[in-house]
Amino acid sequence: MDNLKLQNLTRGAKIRIGLLILALILPFFPFVTDYMLHIAILILLYMILALGLNIVPGFNGLLDLGYVGFYGIGAYTSGLLTYHFGLSYWVIIPLAFINGAIWGILLGAPTLRLTGDYFAIVTFGFSELVVLFLSNEIWLTRGPLGLPGIDVVSIDLSLFGGPKWEFVGELPYYYLAIVMVLVTVFVMYRIQDSRLGRAWFAIRDDEVAAVSCGVNLLGYKVIAFAISAAFGAVGGSFFARWVTFLSPDMFKFWESFLILCMIVLGGMGNIWGVMVGAMVLVSMSEVLREVLPLLGLPVEVRFLAFGLIMVLMMRYRPAGLMPIPAVAAKMRAGRVKRKKVKATVGMKQ
Amino acid sequence: MTPILEIKKLYKSFGGLLALNNISFNINKDEIIGLVGPNGAGKTTLFNCVAGIEKPTEGQIVFANGGRTISIGGRKPEAITALGIARTFQNIRLFDNLTVVDNVKIGRHCRTRSLFFGAVFRNKSQQAEEKAITESANHFLDFAGLKGRGEEIASSMPYGDQRRLEIARALATEPCLLMLDEPAAGMNPQESRDLMDLIHRIRDKGITVLLIEHDMKVVMGVCERVVVINHGEWLAEGEPRDVQNNPKVIEAYLGTGAAGAA
Repeated sequence: MDNLKLQNLTRGAKIRIGLLILALILPFFPFVTDYMLHIAILILLYMILALGLNIVPGFNGLLDLGYVGFYGIGAYTSGLLTYHFGLSYWVIIPLAFINGAIWGILLGAPTLRLTGDYFAIVTFGFSELVVLFLSNEIWLTRGPLGLPGIDVVSIDLSLFGGPKWEFVGELPYYYLAIVMVLVTVFVMYRIQDSRLGRAWFAIRDDEVAAVSCGVNLLGYKVIAFAISAAFGAVGGSFFARWVTFLSPDMFKFWESFLILCMIVLGGMGNIWGVMVGAMVLVSMSEVLREVLPLLGLPVEVRFLAFGLIMVLMMRYRPAGLMPIPAVAAKMRAGRVKRKKVKATVGMKQ
Repeated sequence: MTPILEIKKLYKSFGGLLALNNISFNINKDEIIGLVGPNGAGKTTLFNCVAGIEKPTEGQIVFANGGRTISIGGRKPEAITALGIARTFQNIRLFDNLTVVDNVKIGRHCRTRSLFFGAVFRNKSQQAEEKAITESANHFLDFAGLKGRGEEIASSMPYGDQRRLEIARALATEPCLLMLDEPAAGMNPQESRDLMDLIHRIRDKGITVLLIEHDMKVVMGVCERVVVINHGEWLAEGEPRDVQNNPKVIEAYLGTGAAGAA
């Protein structure tokens, strides 16, 4: 992403810049309605969430089924701080990031010694715990009544004698979400190409060899979990200020699973793949929501459709739509065995 | 002859199985020492105990490096690597999905520091460190005879090259003691000769080498001293020629009344 010079850009980079420009001018096409913009924001939000989750299964090879817990924590952090203290969103972003990271460490430090499925079960339990907490601690969260009337995001320059803009409608949120996705992608790229990222990939590929190279397994897994949780919480903080209403059942388990599906669908460990996965699943969910009633089927049938897609993916493209380069190379060479793929997508013990 | 590693009365049991039974021997500085024995003798268990992957049941492992002597028995493997003991594995363990150069870069892990903030903000010290990591990774690749192969995917390399890469990765941790677990397994004669040359060059850099090997040509060709263990017990020790003719060793490999087995 560094040193962008137009003349020596690769084809991939040109496509990405093209897509970015398209995303930036999208709201000005005449056929784009508010509803479509709403879906576009949802896609961008899920991109942030999927990129955050990707750190754990994609970079570290650990199965995390409780990601939505951190999303919920971030959302309520943002909602409550706005509700009670009227904090500006620009202050809330770092606070949500830190709060997510703290909870990631609190959950990760004692439990990341567990391997494989056992760890997945713990994370699953955690996300249920968050929902129970949000529904029952009424003094703090108002429980099932939800948290209505959260202020919208605003840019307040009155401190410097300037005006105050409130975010009205979908358009400003759309651009805010684009900026947040860009920052997330930037951070992910930087990490991927650093000592920290390499240590994670080492853990993913072979824990015994990693430890023999001096990588402290528990320490790096906790860092991964904390950063992943922090991005989940930032996604949640955006969600709270965007929909301006929170209730505990927005953070049910199936959200975690949906985000995990995006990663598996797109290609675990591949930043662009994960974003494509988020785009495909969110837009498909919306299309199915329209199409299914026309066919006389209940809307919930779309979860069956997701299940079917996952089964087909596992059968025909087990490494996802855009696998990481090494896996893609192996696929091309036709030497990839099912066992091998399983190890690379991170379901290993 | 100062010892770099002293193994004192080492025991390791897995439930009822005594994998190591009162093993004691020294490894001297700057020597190439072989550890041999029939299959199941406990060689790899001994390696794992020294590297910290397994915890010894009893006994001491003392590592002497630069005037300090440290008991390393039962320490964490990453701490032992940081102290200066590196290893390779019997069944190659590379980071399959990474490039060759990234594999070696991970070997630099215990000698470098930057974390999340360095990665995201790329401050000056992180940039300098990253540059040094790349340079030394390439240096170790050259040393192991893998010059210019850095961008290949590790798992797509031929078997012999993967063995070399594992050695390069181990060297990148800047060890004083390098432990090689059957480095010549599955190599053809030419590759074995290159490997022997590489082991000599490693020793000439001032790194002590301990190797497990079944290929007697390699053992005879590089080792200055050999320790034989069998059924987890110390059996013999000495120069390769002497050990080769030791009746107890012949018995361990070929059974009593060796004529029938040969």
